[in-house]
Amino acid sequence: MNKTIIININGIVFHIEEDAYEVLKNYMTDVKRHFMNSADSLEITTDIENRIAEMFNELLARDGKQVIIEQDVNAVIGQMGTVADFERSEQDTEPSFADTYYNTGATRRLFRDPDNRLVSGVCSGIANYFDINPVWIRLAFALIVFAGGAGIILYIILWIVIPKAVTRADRMAMRGEKQNLEGFRRNFEQEMAGMKQNLSNFHNEARPFAYKARDFAGDFGDHLGNFVKGAARYFLKFIGVAILLTCVGFMVFTIVGFVALLSVGRFEPFHNLPYTLLQHHHANLIFTAAFLMAFIPLLCIVLLVFKGIFNVGSINRSTGTTALVIWLCAIGVFVYYSIGIAAEYRTSASYSETITLKPAKDNTYYLTLNDLKYFTAEDSARLNIKALAPNMKITDDEDNDFDHYHQRVGLTIEKSDVATPVLIKQYHARGRYYDDALTNSRNIKYIFTQQDSLLKFDERFYAKNDDLWHDEELFLTLKLPLHAKVVVDHNVDRICGIGIYDCNELNKLDHNKVTNATFVMTEGGLECKVDTLVTDTIIRKHLPVDSSKIRVK
Amino acid sequence: MIVENTQTQMRKGVLEYCILSIIAKGEIYASDIIAELKKAQLLVVEGTLYPLLTRLKNNGLLSYNWVESTSGPPRKYYVLSDEGRKVLEQLDKTWHELAFAVQTSIGERKVKDGSER
Repeated sequence: MNKTIIININGIVFHIEEDAYEVLKNYMTDVKRHFMNSADSLEITTDIENRIAEMFNELLARDGKQVIIEQDVNAVIGQMGTVADFERSEQDTEPSFADTYYNTGATRRLFRDPDNRLVSGVCSGIANYFDINPVWIRLAFALIVFAGGAGIILYIILWIVIPKAVTRADRMAMRGEKQNLEGFRRNFEQEMAGMKQNLSNFHNEARPFAYKARDFAGDFGDHLGNFVKGAARYFLKFIGVAILLTCVGFMVFTIVGFVALLSVGRFEPFHNLPYTLLQHHHANLIFTAAFLMAFIPLLCIVLLVFKGIFNVGSINRSTGTTALVIWLCAIGVFVYYSIGIAAEYRTSASYSETITLKPAKDNTYYLTLNDLKYFTAEDSARLNIKALAPNMKITDDEDNDFDHYHQRVGLTIEKSDVATPVLIKQYHARGRYYDDALTNSRNIKYIFTQQDSLLKFDERFYAKNDDLWHDEELFLTLKLPLHAKVVVDHNVDRICGIGIYDCNELNKLDHNKVTNATFVMTEGGLECKVDTLVTDTIIRKHLPVDSSKIRVK
Repeated sequence: MIVENTQTQMRKGVLEYCILSIIAKGEIYASDIIAELKKAQLLVVEGTLYPLLTRLKNNGLLSYNWVESTSGPPRKYYVLSDEGRKVLEQLDKTWHELAFAVQTSIGERKVKDGSER
């Protein structure tokens, strides 16, 4: 009793005993290996396989059996001939009259020679290739090195590009030795038999160096190509990893931003953004849409790049379609609300209000910020402000600045044409229609108080319906009469850019101790009042001799 | 070595000439070619014929037709192409010249029959 195996030779099924199968398999492997280097290897082996199948069929029919045994296989191999037979007959037939002559002799390959090296074996490798003494190549390299140093770069390039001869086969190829016995024998036979052809190709043989140089260039090109290919692959991988990390970074960013927006209602890096422009009951929907809009493509890029680099994981069709649909929906929602919101800012309206101030007695005005927090009537009722003791006050907290950044006011100080000081408030807001815009601008509330010569400004204005932002703006213009002295507290700097610190600097005042600066209204506008005593000492310090003679106005 | 070499040279040209001659007689299957060559004691194993036929075909001297077979896969039946026919005519001529040359060279010398092969 024997085990049989079912085999398929070019579409025909045979039952074959295990032993016989082993013999047949080994034979076919030998045959395939033998014809491997031939251009027609597939056709030849297919012909042989077909013929074997046919012979099996004939044998089975002749003996009236169903299974092929080892004896049959041996008979078929005997008829077909072993690889040794092929080799023997190929000596007879190889250089056919129909074939054009081509050199199948041992060709040398360019490798670095690790056995005979000074630095990395580049020189001896090249010497091996041209079959000359490595000394000459080394000498040539030494000369190029001294003639400008280009040799070093060339050497390093060759070092990188030319592979080291690692295996025995590499070394044999490097020295131009054929790598097997039959190859050697064939080569020898050919040399003898191909004498006539060689004669006709005499002019080719007469230029061996030109050919060697060409082959050398070809070999070098091969190595360079492999090197560039390898380098490009690494470079692509590097870029892929960079993209991957960037995308993952952005994904984390979007997730953090999304969570922050949902829970806190604002996201720190974008504190300038007036999140109150969104209607509160839509805000979360818009945030979600924006999040999905950014997150889904990032996720897809990450998955695709991951697939590209590491060849693991991918998006299947249904997941991809779902993601696409969700993404398109998110875009739809986002665009719809964006347009809706943008429409709220279509028209703008502004109006100005002029308040006449009481002139101060000595024409000196003190400007400061009002640190009291403003409450609407409802808020003060809700928070029970009136229950506070009269000596208590609620101050505005500077930490809330971020929330009200877009409610900052701007203050400019100009010369008044008349003798009385005047404060002009210019309100501005936007809305869907002009009516809305005007209503919105009139809803701006700003608190300014004058206590004799003390002018108290609020840092920000308030919108009456505080839930939505309508691009409200408030510009204050304080017009003061000529020669008015203005003492500005340093915190006014937050709404007015008149250079309070610069002025203090000019007067050599330490702004940590002195909290205000003094200005004077001149014909050309507000100017820093310079203390003559101080400047006097500065000039004296800088002019060592005869400084007493200099008079300072 | 020199003997083998000369034998190789002689057999090489003759083998292809014989194959072309056999195919010239009409459409023929590879194993039938082998049978003829065996009879002529030129080639003994079948496997060596396939690379030869493939090369002759690739050189345009032969072409083949697929013919369905009752006992296995379809068979390749080889025929001579027009170019093959021309080459064969030239080879015929050469062969006659060679035969004449050899005959003249041998002359009266007694040649042993090489039938031990």
